[in-house]
Amino acid sequence: MRFPLLCTLLVCAAALRAQSPADIAEGKATFRSNCAFCHGLTGTGGRGPALNTGHFLHGSTDEELKNVVRNGVPGTTMPAFELLQPDDIDKVVIFIRSLSQGSGGSAAVAGDASLGRQVYERNGCSGCHRIGSEGSVFGPDLTRVGAGRPLDYLRESIVNPSADVPDEFAGVTVVLRDGKRIRGIRINEDTFSVQLRETSQNFRMFQKSEVKEVIHETLSMMPAYTKLAAADLQNLLAYLSSLREGSTGGGVRKPEEIR
Amino acid sequence: MKLVLGIILAATLSAQGVTYERIVNALHEQQNWLTYFGDYGAMRYRDLKQITTANVKDLRVEWMFQTGQTGAFQTVPLVVDGVMYISAANGQAFALDARSGRQLWMYRHTFPSSEKIAQQPNRGMAILGDRVFMVTTDAHLIALDARTGKLVWQAEMAPYKKGQYFATLAPLAVKDKIIVGISGGELGIRGFIDAYDASTGKRAWRFWTVPSKDQPGGDTWLADSWQQGGGATWMTGTFDPKLNTLFWGVGNASPDLYGAGRLGDNLYTCSLVALDPDTGKLKWHYQFTPHDTHDWDANEVPMLLDLNWKGRQRKLVVQANRNAFFYVLDRETGEFLLGKPFGRQTWAKEIDSKGRPVLMPNTEPSPEGTHLCPGLGGATNWMAPTYNPETKLFYFSVREQCDVYFSSPPVYVEGKLYWGSAFRGSTEEKEWGLLKALDPLTGETKWDFRYVRAPWAGTLSTAGGLIFTGDEDGYFLAFDARTGKDLWRMNTGNNHLVSAPITFMVAGRQYVSMPSGAVLLTFALPQSK
Repeated sequence: MRFPLLCTLLVCAAALRAQSPADIAEGKATFRSNCAFCHGLTGTGGRGPALNTGHFLHGSTDEELKNVVRNGVPGTTMPAFELLQPDDIDKVVIFIRSLSQGSGGSAAVAGDASLGRQVYERNGCSGCHRIGSEGSVFGPDLTRVGAGRPLDYLRESIVNPSADVPDEFAGVTVVLRDGKRIRGIRINEDTFSVQLRETSQNFRMFQKSEVKEVIHETLSMMPAYTKLAAADLQNLLAYLSSLREGSTGGGVRKPEEIR
Repeated sequence: MKLVLGIILAATLSAQGVTYERIVNALHEQQNWLTYFGDYGAMRYRDLKQITTANVKDLRVEWMFQTGQTGAFQTVPLVVDGVMYISAANGQAFALDARSGRQLWMYRHTFPSSEKIAQQPNRGMAILGDRVFMVTTDAHLIALDARTGKLVWQAEMAPYKKGQYFATLAPLAVKDKIIVGISGGELGIRGFIDAYDASTGKRAWRFWTVPSKDQPGGDTWLADSWQQGGGATWMTGTFDPKLNTLFWGVGNASPDLYGAGRLGDNLYTCSLVALDPDTGKLKWHYQFTPHDTHDWDANEVPMLLDLNWKGRQRKLVVQANRNAFFYVLDRETGEFLLGKPFGRQTWAKEIDSKGRPVLMPNTEPSPEGTHLCPGLGGATNWMAPTYNPETKLFYFSVREQCDVYFSSPPVYVEGKLYWGSAFRGSTEEKEWGLLKALDPLTGETKWDFRYVRAPWAGTLSTAGGLIFTGDEDGYFLAFDARTGKDLWRMNTGNNHLVSAPITFMVAGRQYVSMPSGAVLLTFALPQSK
């Protein structure tokens, strides 16, 4: 009788363990030193996506979340946390889950998204940004920006874009020998060469020995939209926040669709 | 007839094998590269001058050898009379024709299980007599017949368990022994340096780099913390045959970033130890970073130089340490002579006259994160420096990078990482790197060449007035040793050049070799037709 009872207790313990405060606390400690830098101390997001909305960009099962932590997300700035042990990752995921508990999914954003879309079009945002298959590849792709960025970050990105310039959108000005200046987003750079993308979306590639100067811009290439009417800004934010489900080309077409 | 004679001559040479005397006099064989560092003292300078500052612009790839394994290919080849020996990451070793890159034999180690243990790097081999020696990621030392690649013996340095001891370094052959160190500084191991009988594989001695409670230095560890004290010995040491002394760098204390559980200086972590190669007995030690909590291993190359120190010829050992200070010690006594910063550092006010660092306030990792320079990767690391006796300068790769160090009390679990929390890059400014030329007598910089990213590649200097090295964007580079001007480069297509170049001669032609990605690249000047 003793053994079955013990086993039962163990099973209970294992089930409880999945959400124990101790696990959450351990997950939080790991989160603080490994994840908070991009996702914010409480998972509200920042440079990285918000993790407290109940929405996740790359799958929402525990296994998918663990996979993202373990292996990173290719093509994004999310690195692979190979040094984390499996149960550290388990606890981080438990902590991340605890962040969205009670949030009831996405909080509604004040404003009219369809009016916001007009603000987007009126201000020529698609001259630099892309949503789905429309717009320029010069600036960040906004197809799923609502899933990836918290509202505060979006607002700041519009009114003060220089507050946080992601490394992959850093601006560079190359001064040619004749004094001509070429501005663009830095795609790659080493000690001897630099590769940019102009607003025309074209590549420009230089050997540093052949130009006069390479200037690393500290400000964003995006102008600050400080003169938007409050209602326009709110509507624009509502529109951007609504961009969650679109395809960025990563999906796999099934044979029946292709046929 | 001439051809046949040549073949017989070559065969006779290799049959003699590489005696201990040949290794002692390795610098008399400028065409060869007989040890990991090229000779016992690790100067990494060769009196070869076919390739010069004037003609290096014509340097081109002569051959490439594909190991088939991307990542962690960090070998430094050995070259003996036209035969090159290299190791690769997955327990493989190869012998090649050094002129053509054509394979002579291949060995593949049998690992105990299918676990992913082969991913750690292997840094090279040792040769003695007609045998070559290498370690494997499952912590074995193996001896191969240099003529066939057949396994002669293998010795277990430590019982292999996943997430514990492993081995990566190139062994060092001294007299009739093979000296090796161990890896696992982030896994709560207790480090050691071992010597094995070259003919039988029987262990001759072991020096524990972390003393037990009852041994001298045991009182520098709180309670039982010495048992998981770290002190890995993952880089090859140097050797002075006249003083009969081994010099070996010892790694970080464990757990890396949390020191409260191991209060004390934590000997002999982050130290240089001088050992008797016959017995493994400690002659002296010098600790660069007492009670380290930033993973500042002292496994950087302890280079042996004989220089005129303030009017007196002295036998010195110099090291550019991961903690951002350049050190000069007397290698007969261990006396501290110089400790001077060569890169940005925010942890020590100075090194006092006895050689002990005087700490700045608030340098300890913390739960909230502590910003400190250099970063965890160090202001330099294991990438080999070089000394050029003509310019009298010491050249090495410098990493200008800071980190935010976090800390929380860890629990030791066998087979698990034992960091004591984490670290991340500082965002206040971007990292950059330097190739630095330093006067070892003063620690003063003579020139710098600035890289966009912090490098991981070692250096080589030659009588042609050149420094060869690599950067963190995949360029293999040649510099003018006097001026620091970049004279030649080639993009090797792998962003992470982490080994060190060598140079050698076969049949009157000078070559330079450097691994990149999965490939060993070998360069030469075009041959006149």
